[in-house]
Amino acid sequence: MSIEDTPHSGERPTREVAVTVNGEAVTREVEPRLKLSDFLRNECGCRGVRVGCEHGVCGACTVSLDGDIVKSCLLYAVQAEDRDVETVEGLAEDGKLHPVQEAFHEEHALQCGFCTSGFVMATKSLLEENPDPDREEIKEGLADNICRCTGYQNIYRAVDRAADKLAADLEPVRDDGEEGA
Amino acid sequence: MSGSEPQVGHEAGDELEGRSFTGQSVRRFEDRRILTGEAEYIHDVTPPNCLEMALVRSVHAHADIVDVDTSAAEDHPDCECVLTIDDIEESYNPQPCGLEGYEEWSLADGKARFVGEPIAVVVAADRYLAEDMADLVDVTYETLDPVVDGMAAREAETLVHEDAGSNVADNERISFGDPDAAFADADHVVEGTYEWGRVSGVPLETAGVVARYDEDGDSFHIDCNIQLHTLVDDTVYETLGRPADRVELNVPADVGGSFGTKIAIHRYCNLAAMAAEQLGQPVKFVEDRIENLQGGDMHCSERTYEMRLACDDDGTMRGLDVWFVDDFGAWPHYPVNQVLKPLSVLTNAYAIDDVVYEYDLVLTNKTAQTAYRGFGVDPHQYALEMLVDDAARELGVDPTEFRRRNLVTPDQLPYRLPSGNVYDSGDYPGAMDRMDEILDENERCEGGLLDPAAVEQRREEGYYRGTQTAVLIEPGVSGSDWTDRQRTDDEALANRSRDDVAELPEHLRAEVQPDGTVLAWLATDSAGQGHQTLVAQLLADELGLLPSDIEVDYLDSVEAPTEYGSAASRMAVMLSGASVGVGEQLRERLAELAADHWAVEREAVDYRDGRVERGGTDDALSLADLAALDDEGRTRVSYDYEHPATGLPEFDDALTSKYPVYPTAAYAVNAPIVEVDVETGEVEVLKFYTLRDCGTMLNPMIVEGQAHGGIAQGVGAALMEEFGYDQDTGQPQAITMFDYLLPSTKNMPDIEMEHTVHPSPFTETGAKGVGEGGMIDAPAAIACSINDALEPLGVTADRLPFTAHRARKRLREAEE
Repeated sequence: MSIEDTPHSGERPTREVAVTVNGEAVTREVEPRLKLSDFLRNECGCRGVRVGCEHGVCGACTVSLDGDIVKSCLLYAVQAEDRDVETVEGLAEDGKLHPVQEAFHEEHALQCGFCTSGFVMATKSLLEENPDPDREEIKEGLADNICRCTGYQNIYRAVDRAADKLAADLEPVRDDGEEGA
Repeated sequence: MSGSEPQVGHEAGDELEGRSFTGQSVRRFEDRRILTGEAEYIHDVTPPNCLEMALVRSVHAHADIVDVDTSAAEDHPDCECVLTIDDIEESYNPQPCGLEGYEEWSLADGKARFVGEPIAVVVAADRYLAEDMADLVDVTYETLDPVVDGMAAREAETLVHEDAGSNVADNERISFGDPDAAFADADHVVEGTYEWGRVSGVPLETAGVVARYDEDGDSFHIDCNIQLHTLVDDTVYETLGRPADRVELNVPADVGGSFGTKIAIHRYCNLAAMAAEQLGQPVKFVEDRIENLQGGDMHCSERTYEMRLACDDDGTMRGLDVWFVDDFGAWPHYPVNQVLKPLSVLTNAYAIDDVVYEYDLVLTNKTAQTAYRGFGVDPHQYALEMLVDDAARELGVDPTEFRRRNLVTPDQLPYRLPSGNVYDSGDYPGAMDRMDEILDENERCEGGLLDPAAVEQRREEGYYRGTQTAVLIEPGVSGSDWTDRQRTDDEALANRSRDDVAELPEHLRAEVQPDGTVLAWLATDSAGQGHQTLVAQLLADELGLLPSDIEVDYLDSVEAPTEYGSAASRMAVMLSGASVGVGEQLRERLAELAADHWAVEREAVDYRDGRVERGGTDDALSLADLAALDDEGRTRVSYDYEHPATGLPEFDDALTSKYPVYPTAAYAVNAPIVEVDVETGEVEVLKFYTLRDCGTMLNPMIVEGQAHGGIAQGVGAALMEEFGYDQDTGQPQAITMFDYLLPSTKNMPDIEMEHTVHPSPFTETGAKGVGEGGMIDAPAAIACSINDALEPLGVTADRLPFTAHRARKRLREAEE
């Protein structure tokens, strides 16, 4: 349901907010109190943004804001004005999953899936900053997200596998078609 | 060890030359929609014109509600509707409770009995506005003394329910064999008191509901993430005062975890449905996290155990005496029978014939209990293994040897417990031996965590290391007939015969689609277990297809017959049986259809590899051909798999007596290596070894995932998680995730897992229940490992969670 359709007394202030979400410009008139998580879910169709605690602990609502991961439940939509938001909906290209998504599937790094969008975004960010993290670095990098199903073991494996996939993607291809060192 | 050798996975469309799909790590169908954000959880369900509900909740633990002034809210233009107890008493019924004699309405009826108890419903266009309107409702209270401590509640003058006359809502003392004689004869009687803190599953997704009312049919369609939607639907349709077939409970294919905790979310379903009926518009409610933690009807066991073990000088266990209090909170919600489930593993893996088992189920001013992974077995196993450690020390014997000496041996299996349940298969001493080998090879050696020199070195630095192994049993499958034992009067119970036993089968349907694929329907709901993938694997083998040829959907509570559903480590066994039955039926129906088409005898055709062949010819009909030929519904079958215990005379006594029936016994031997910082009291699990046996593994990848997650919840219960309450005011102390601490990557050790396979003789595929194991076996293992680590200081983990604060307290007391 969009805010425009909402019947209300009209006494509350609203503000126009313009945000780029997964590469597309979105402009809406919203209440300043609208959380970024609710804005993404209800106004932008990004329902992969999961809401698990609304106080910044669980990490299910983790998205990327100008390249940094943030918990979207701790921001208001108006704070994303003129900024770039990326959610899990923006990762697959032409139906092909992003290497991090593939790795989570292949390593069974998700069960109920409610934390998964957040973990995928946090993993993508971790690997952008550190393409080859060791186990301790993975634990440090994902410590702000909670998973209640997997005990994290398969998430660690998925991060390792995603790192390998991304490294393979980055390897330069020589003119003779053979992979470079 | 799988810690270093992950399972090799297969995609659902991969051919496996000459091998069955059952037993392989087929990767999950469920994943893609989740990974892309397309999965539809309850918070994604928003029909047109949907309004949202907020609740006014009690701020006091125990108070008379003098007045609920709703005028300011009702006068506000943004307010769509306010409901109070007066409104709902007029049109609806109380909610069915877990015990007779308790009348619970969906809103507090003149008295608030816990902080967070809903007092009024407010509906507005969205949740933001609904919360604004809730703030306008003014409740006047007269506070009462709260009942906070479970042990003290038994004798307290203040009653949570005056009409009941006591805070003890239920108790029973059950004797097996001759415990008096065993305790009188034994050389030693060792006793201990052990406390288990109030914990819960706390899935990442909270409870949610979207209720719609159809005036023409006077019926409800309720989308919600309730668990066991075909079994507990009475808590909704009876409250709404409608027959079952006019209240559809529909659970989305994706539920963000439950672990038992969403079984009792009927209050929310009822209130949203009532508001939807009053307004003639859909009404949505998604619980926020604070509501969930403080007043979401979803806490689980909070127990104090007093246990005694009778044993002889030679280390033989002779008798066991179990007594405990379980603090159920303000209402005895279904499922109250978790105080009885420990009877299914009464003596754990030890052969003890003479046992007495007694409990007091007490009510206090806290939010009500529901189920949580393990269902009351986890605290029982913890307390029993603590007692075994205490007894070993008192006898001056090695705790591992003491355990080994009393284990049920392979030649005793199937083993009948004094309480009637039967352990199916396994090798408990062998599992202990294997774990010893693993520890010797990897850790009790130079460079290992348990290298004696390293242990000594760390101890000098103030860090105490230890580990303790034990066999811990996970009862699987449950029956349904015993679950109302507490609501059955004694006379009826005494006069039951085997013919009175009524179990619930597992229902499964399948239909061939025009393109030759198969669509199957599950009657259960799922919350991350991968049931769609498992059924596709099982049916692929039955029908000679690929798992990718099989789609699996879900039935709502009206379409499905009443059945049990996903709980009690049940589905591996029940879906195995149901899939075999559906496969047999569908193959037979398709063969008959083909025979009729060719006008030949049934014996002249064979079903093979996804088609029907005509003997002695090259004629064959594919599934798509057969679907095209079928105009009488002959390519559609359903099957109800009977509970496996009902066909086994071994279980007759337990079934007839309404004692818990769990026909599979998976088990684990864990060796968590713990290290206690004796200065700060912090406990770290450095590494978690686990050797597990759940019989045939239908999908090893999923089996391991279940174990990982259960162990993580066990680490939380052992060291971190607890719903504390202020003892004076009854105010909850853990209402955010800053207070109720869930294990993160920082708290979880690496898990090293190995499996043995002793198939169950009682089940179709040899599979045993596997869903709850880690949560059942990890807390006991961690507690006993702490006992081992702190043995030189004389401190034991006699209260969980064994937080740093509690550890320091115990260490200080030991110094004095």
